[in-house]
Amino acid sequence: MEIMRIVVTGPVGAGKSSFIRTISEIEAVDTDRKATDETATLKAKTTVAMDFGRLQFGQNVALHLYGTPGQERFDFMWDILIRKAHAFILLVSSHRPQDFRAARRILAFMRHRSKIPMLIGLSHADNPAAWPMEEILVALGYLSPYNRPPTVTVNALEIPSVAQALTALIEAYAQEQMAELNRLNKDAFI
Amino acid sequence: MAINVTKLEMTLQEFVANVGNVQGAAIVSPDGLSLASSLAPGMDDERVAAMSAAMLSLGERIGRELNRGEIERILVEGQKGYGILTSCTEEAVFLVLTDRNAKLGIINLEIKNVIEELRKQLLGLAQPIGL
Repeated sequence: MEIMRIVVTGPVGAGKSSFIRTISEIEAVDTDRKATDETATLKAKTTVAMDFGRLQFGQNVALHLYGTPGQERFDFMWDILIRKAHAFILLVSSHRPQDFRAARRILAFMRHRSKIPMLIGLSHADNPAAWPMEEILVALGYLSPYNRPPTVTVNALEIPSVAQALTALIEAYAQEQMAELNRLNKDAFI
Repeated sequence: MAINVTKLEMTLQEFVANVGNVQGAAIVSPDGLSLASSLAPGMDDERVAAMSAAMLSLGERIGRELNRGEIERILVEGQKGYGILTSCTEEAVFLVLTDRNAKLGIINLEIKNVIEELRKQLLGLAQPIGL
């Protein structure tokens, strides 16, 4: 049995805990505490260490999903979780442009430490105030339409939507593995 | 009555100064915000607060899922000393940092005593003005 560790990250209220709760086969482990900072205007409880969920994927792969806290003061948890991850998802609320900067900071933090495959998941895309995907990507720093990570819209409360996002991430991961293999083969022939 | 932060900090400072082998103390909210602290220079209280909250929440989760009951304290034993987390009130967690020579029995007793005092000060806010 192979274990694939996936980190779900993003700003406060992007839907990280919901994402894991929705898809996990075991009762998701959460570390919610009552929010007393500006988070409290958004939701009553907030993750302070991590969320954990598990999902069997095919016969031989078990996905371990780790959700990070959203607030920057917990960046030591971001660091702990990303170091052992195989791939990660950055969840961003499409209708909260004030969070794009925080999302960008998380992205830079993760990218600085790890070059693993990633996916951008845009939550709340059906909200009337939601920004179009193209503009969010530009706000996240992807100015050119090339070399962007795969991006999907995701409803963290619906199983098919979450499953679709995970599938897209695993595809990106598989492609990366394949490219790596090809590079190694090429080197072997030279 | 509102919480008197100056008094809280003074209580912490006295605790750190008077109890042998103690190097720092902090009170933090369960979601990782610093309420009051007396820490070694160079130690960022925001970071300390967030770490304490993360540690306590994982510890409590272990207590629950692995059937260890209510968590009384969480102890981190390092080569340079201890970090001890104790629940103070519903809204506050107490962290103490000691050096390697600290005697745990004594420290635990001292923590118990100071928590009683801190609890009184922290719960002061629950009482309406005039009481």
